[in-house]
Amino acid sequence: MTPVRRVAAPLLAVTVAMVLADSAVVTLALPAILFHLHTTVGQVAWVLIAFNLVLGVVAVPVAWAFARAQPRIFSAVGIAVFAGASAWCAGAGSIEVLIVARCLQALGGALALVGCLEQLVTVYGEKRGVTAWVTAGVVGTATGPVAGGLLTDAFSWQAIFVVQVPFAVLAVPAALAVPATAARVQDRHRPALRPNLTLALLSAALTAALFLLVLLLVEGWRRSPSTAALTVSVVPLAALAARPLARLLRPPPQVEVAAGCFLVAGGLACLAIPPSSDLAWTAAPQALVGLGLGLTVDRLTAQAMEMRLPRVQHAGWTIGARHAGVVLGLAILTPVFTADLQDAQVPAQEAIAALVLDAPLEAADKIEVAQALGRELTDQEGRIPDLHRAFADLDIAPEDRPAADRLERDLDAQLEAAATRAFRDSFLIGAGLALLALLTVLVPGRRTTT
Amino acid sequence: MTSRLQLVALPAVAVLLVSGVLGVQLAHDGGRFEPLHPADPCVARTVTSQSDGIDGLSERLVLLGIDGAACRLHLSREALTLQLAQPGARSEEEVDALRAGLHDAVRRMKDDGTLPPASDLVDEALDNADLNGFLKAAIKALPDSVINAAVKIDDVLDRTIDDLDLRRVLEDIDDHDDLNRQVNAAVEQSVKDSVVDRLKSLL
Repeated sequence: MTPVRRVAAPLLAVTVAMVLADSAVVTLALPAILFHLHTTVGQVAWVLIAFNLVLGVVAVPVAWAFARAQPRIFSAVGIAVFAGASAWCAGAGSIEVLIVARCLQALGGALALVGCLEQLVTVYGEKRGVTAWVTAGVVGTATGPVAGGLLTDAFSWQAIFVVQVPFAVLAVPAALAVPATAARVQDRHRPALRPNLTLALLSAALTAALFLLVLLLVEGWRRSPSTAALTVSVVPLAALAARPLARLLRPPPQVEVAAGCFLVAGGLACLAIPPSSDLAWTAAPQALVGLGLGLTVDRLTAQAMEMRLPRVQHAGWTIGARHAGVVLGLAILTPVFTADLQDAQVPAQEAIAALVLDAPLEAADKIEVAQALGRELTDQEGRIPDLHRAFADLDIAPEDRPAADRLERDLDAQLEAAATRAFRDSFLIGAGLALLALLTVLVPGRRTTT
Repeated sequence: MTSRLQLVALPAVAVLLVSGVLGVQLAHDGGRFEPLHPADPCVARTVTSQSDGIDGLSERLVLLGIDGAACRLHLSREALTLQLAQPGARSEEEVDALRAGLHDAVRRMKDDGTLPPASDLVDEALDNADLNGFLKAAIKALPDSVINAAVKIDDVLDRTIDDLDLRRVLEDIDDHDDLNRQVNAAVEQSVKDSVVDRLKSLL
């Protein structure tokens, strides 16, 4: 095995995974970024949206430009820009700088994705090269939120970007070492509309699964980012099981994609109605989503690129479709769940009032609890409050402490229930998007006459 | 594997998996994990208090009173409580409903026998009262039957509710000392008025 095949190609595959992981890697870090950069929920969402929007918009033009450039220079420049922008993201001192750096990161990422595809094909050959590129992308997409959550909890949100720098820096010489030549191919085939459309709708639905679930876990159920990261790791694990299942049952490709879309829709519908905030209730729905993801994304990407030339141009269309889908998902879901969270405040406050009024505490203690809760609810306007501080500062008799602790647990359960209810419609919309994706698979296509 | 089996096997597995997970979740009340819904304030509820004496009586009275007021205002008890906890002026409608609700509460407690006799509260009331020490000792020496005959607790409470400036009470709800001063003054005055009226009626 040559050094290029042994070292350079895996580094290029890791770069592909990193770029596509960046699509959702900051999801679990958003609360930390919100706090650290003193910004608003609306602005912080742009850290996620900007990257996907730029990647979605520039993917096709970048692929067009690739045909007129030196592949290894193209890849190396892209990876270097990606590395530099990642370092800039880590050092960003304001939300505006972070968003600009994320845009630049997406631009470099687009160059890297397109360049790495051609270089992986040079190293591994057509079929294995495309498979390696597609698989790296699926792994990156599925593991991004998990990696982001673990890094944020272990170090800081900046660590998400810092760890990407050395891999990307190493990938620059790797890209220069692979002697790929640009295949000068005329635009022979039109973009594959149906798989790209399905991919876009499915990406929008998967955004619901990954983005909303981590928000529910961290903001709604008050779990730490690392707990949330471990919880959502069910998705990539289940995605790994998809291939063996497909090999066992050997369905036709369209049936495989249709079943995958149905599994994603079913998983999202189940996430909309958990019986409680016990993390175990998210496992099976996530497994359905993961299985669906594993059955669809790589298959659709392969369908969109299969037998179509120029290859990078069609890869550009798939990247564009996926990230346009993510932006579509965020654009639809963000206002829905933000409004639903706002609407959930009144029922949550009423439930809290009911429990405090009926709590087995002395009247004076109830008034003190109510006042402390009132301060906490006012301070955290627009976000789900942390009631623990209200109870931690309570000056009550030791014999009343067990009752106060019980009340705190009951109130937390009410907040969790309110948050869960607030996310329901968004998960159901995500399920609807997956069903729309299923529809694009089921609608019969035009018959081609010979 | 035959082609027909290849066509239906994966969709069948998918349908089975989704139905199974949905079924288990629904069987465990999936979809019903929601915040408590406020109870109808017009339906009588049993209220309890962890406090004894005057504090316990006041708490039960206020809890039942808020129910009555909320019922009159067509709100939930919780919505009214949150509304009253907000700073700002109270409407005439709110104050009237609260006063009427507190009167209803006195009647209900009297009817169901949960209103304590005056003798149960007299020692605590005297401790808080601004009275001459000899007078306090003299009153404490009176037999319970005399106290209960002289002071009817429902009458005292009704008078207190009428005398209290509820608008001011709601404004000062965060100031415990001022609240206690207002309530104690109203209770003292009501006890005096009640006793005087009783003596007048006896004479």
